[in-house]
Amino acid sequence: MLVLSRKKGESIWIGDDIEIIISEVKGDQVKIGIRAPKHIDIVRGELRHAISQSNTEAVIKNLNLLKNELK
Amino acid sequence: MNIQTAYIGEIEIDPAMILTFEHGIPGFEEEKQFVQLPIEENNMFQILQSIQTKELAFIITSPYLITENYTFEIDEATVHALDIKCEKEVAVFVIVTLKETLEESTANLKAPIVINTTNHKAKQVILNDETYAIRHKLNLQSVKG
Repeated sequence: MLVLSRKKGESIWIGDDIEIIISEVKGDQVKIGIRAPKHIDIVRGELRHAISQSNTEAVIKNLNLLKNELK
Repeated sequence: MNIQTAYIGEIEIDPAMILTFEHGIPGFEEEKQFVQLPIEENNMFQILQSIQTKELAFIITSPYLITENYTFEIDEATVHALDIKCEKEVAVFVIVTLKETLEESTANLKAPIVINTTNHKAKQVILNDETYAIRHKLNLQSVKG
């Protein structure tokens, strides 16, 4: 993983069309501005993680429930 | 073509019906191809079976059977990724997590699977608003009919 130090007001470009701007640093919180084309998905890490966890739980272990109850 | 499935053995599928998830789905990023299969004697739910991993399958259902007025705006990233030209070619499903009983079972309304029925490109879209839950309890009344 690439790790860069930045100060408030500084930015990072990813490729030619994504800019990440450090807009505020307060204690343990950082406010980040993202300028990216509309076709780029931007999702908070913990939300993506929660979906990933839910998908993992959802893998079918057996189908008996549906077969028995919904006939 | 023939594929191995988790619950109904080896079956023949029409390759044209394979759904392509370009980036997989969260947690299963390497799984890029799935096929929708019916569950015998049960038309409420379907199976979303991985093509490459026999053991990997999900239960999916229509969100409209679970909650009234399920609506969300398909964002530009999805329109772009699935090459959606018009609303009519879009199909929406949600993944169901089966628990011990159907009452405890849940559906992920927060991250619907959006399918372009014309080109069979698909994507699990993560909704950024707070309207829908990741673990929405199934409404038995409507599920059982």
